[in-house]
Amino acid sequence: METWQLLEYAAWGVSALLGLFMVIDWLKTDTTYSEDVLTSSREGELEAMTEEHKI
Amino acid sequence: MANTDITSKEMDGMGPHGTVVGLLRVLGPAHVWALGVGIVLVGEYMGWNFAVGKGGAYAALIACWFAGILYTCVAMIDSEVTSTVAAAGGQYTQAKHIVGPLMAFNVGLYLTFAYTMLEAANAITAGYLISVVASMTGYAGELDQRPFIIMVIMFLAWLNYRGVLATLTFNLVITAIAFVAIIVLFLSTSGILGGGIMQHAALMEGHELPYGWIGVLAAMHFGLWYYLGIEGTTQAAEEVRSPARALPFGTLAGIMTLLIAATLTWYVCSGILPWEYLGDGVDGAVAPLFSAAQLSGSNALVWLLGIGTLFATLASANGCINDASRAWFAMGRDKYLPGWFGAVHPKYRTPYRSIIFLVPIALIFALGAPLDQVITFSILSGLLEYTFMPLNVILFRKKWPLNSIKRGYEHPFHPLPAIVLLCLCGITFFAVFLGYGTQLIAMIGFYIVVSLWFHFWRYRFVNRGTQFTMPWPKPQGY
Amino acid sequence: MAKYRAPIQSKASQIFDVIFLVILTLGALFVPLKMGLSGAAKTVAEPMEGATWEALGQTPAQAAQYEALGYTPESAHDLILARFDYSFTAGALIAMIVIIVAYYVLMLKFSESEYREVIAEKFDGK
Repeated sequence: METWQLLEYAAWGVSALLGLFMVIDWLKTDTTYSEDVLTSSREGELEAMTEEHKI
Repeated sequence: MANTDITSKEMDGMGPHGTVVGLLRVLGPAHVWALGVGIVLVGEYMGWNFAVGKGGAYAALIACWFAGILYTCVAMIDSEVTSTVAAAGGQYTQAKHIVGPLMAFNVGLYLTFAYTMLEAANAITAGYLISVVASMTGYAGELDQRPFIIMVIMFLAWLNYRGVLATLTFNLVITAIAFVAIIVLFLSTSGILGGGIMQHAALMEGHELPYGWIGVLAAMHFGLWYYLGIEGTTQAAEEVRSPARALPFGTLAGIMTLLIAATLTWYVCSGILPWEYLGDGVDGAVAPLFSAAQLSGSNALVWLLGIGTLFATLASANGCINDASRAWFAMGRDKYLPGWFGAVHPKYRTPYRSIIFLVPIALIFALGAPLDQVITFSILSGLLEYTFMPLNVILFRKKWPLNSIKRGYEHPFHPLPAIVLLCLCGITFFAVFLGYGTQLIAMIGFYIVVSLWFHFWRYRFVNRGTQFTMPWPKPQGY
Repeated sequence: MAKYRAPIQSKASQIFDVIFLVILTLGALFVPLKMGLSGAAKTVAEPMEGATWEALGQTPAQAAQYEALGYTPESAHDLILARFDYSFTAGALIAMIVIIVAYYVLMLKFSESEYREVIAEKFDGK
């Protein structure tokens, strides 16, 4: 077994692990929080609070 | 912030709507610079040299500077508009407020495609580089590049998923190393430190403009590659602590960095490599700076530029994931796309669903399409976007003249930059037409079909007045 | 003006919209590729027998760099002589200009009508 062949398998393994982490965390998040909380972000919040846009 | 009245009637549709989890405001100007330059710098390590093949070394230099003018206009226009319209989605949000919903939808798609294709191109290059390292270290067999391509995309998606601060701090470090590598190569080969090996005159003798002046026009196509992606700084708008200051600063510092890097890159490569070799990015110089380092005879330079090339591809793919997911997220939030994509992760504060959704798309492009095709699609989407920008800024100044709203930055000589930008875009369309006319038509056909789909079907799910979120007065002429 | 209330989109319809967009995207990328219409390939117009550096139009300085890169006149033959073909017809150029301009005009027109609706509801519809 050559080093580079081992590295190939390692790369497959790391990819699978990272993918698995994201999918599991995604499903966990979606079931823990309500959809209203998750999609509550609105555009322009800061502008409304800090900028008057008047000169 | 203290004197904000969230029950105010005047602030309907723009005040705090009760965001429970939003994107995190943690970034400074250095992160904006890292995002902009990080995406682009890979263009000096690979891809720009196709311009040499299109018209010779001088044509590539002319294209480098004309594309530099094009992008300086882009950066100035972008800085003005985005320091005023500071929200995730960048040009998409600008278009929504200034031109109109359909234009915004198209711009959002340009952004997502330009970045996702570029991400795929970077992953392909990273896989190729790893296979070069494998053969350099004496591996006899044929390395399977696929696991490495997938790992690059997965790792960077994971990094993006986990939070924007770590993502862009990582980008800052590797981009800085890749930039320093170019400077070191220039200093050590140009004769400033130690013996110079530049021979521009001898190498270009008899090959000044091999295609004549039409070659200079054709070179503009890949001239864009020196800078493509600098406009992505605007995507960070919602995560920057002080957008009105940090965005113009980061973007303009970024374009200056790139003008220096692009010119140095051209100088070093065209002074060491013959133009036919340099201009062939497939069979010749795949990574021209790396090839130049190989001819310098210094092992240290070979390693430095090898690492620089790898870091540049990673930084670029990383920034692309960041930008594409922000654009996709912003469209989901407004229901331009299914609202499901408009979610923010409550712990990591990132648009996690958009990040995950774009992973398989990037993988399909990276594993299923050839590099030059992917690059061309990215350039075309970018070009359509740059053509939109002058229209955008002219309408912006018309609907909200200078003294009507507060701008973080005002670009000088309006409307000259807009007109110059429009002319250069026209030239570049012609350059693309010379080599890739069919793709150009296929691409525009695609955008016409999705535009009709959006106008007649998708737009019904979008609320009308509330999508205009900026606290501005009514535009003039309406 | 009455405020427009957007309907809530069902899950199935959301999924359908995403699949539709993905299919269109892949089509735009892979159809020209499959039809063999993609890319501008370089070709060698007049192949040369028994190439030497001089015959390939290379000065000694240029030939030295090629040798440093590991090339011989034979192996560099295709790389040096291949050229792009930039010829085009006026008809194709006009067709391209018409398509690009038509695309932007179409988009600006539709956008403008949608934009007027947005501004009316936002500023006059209270």
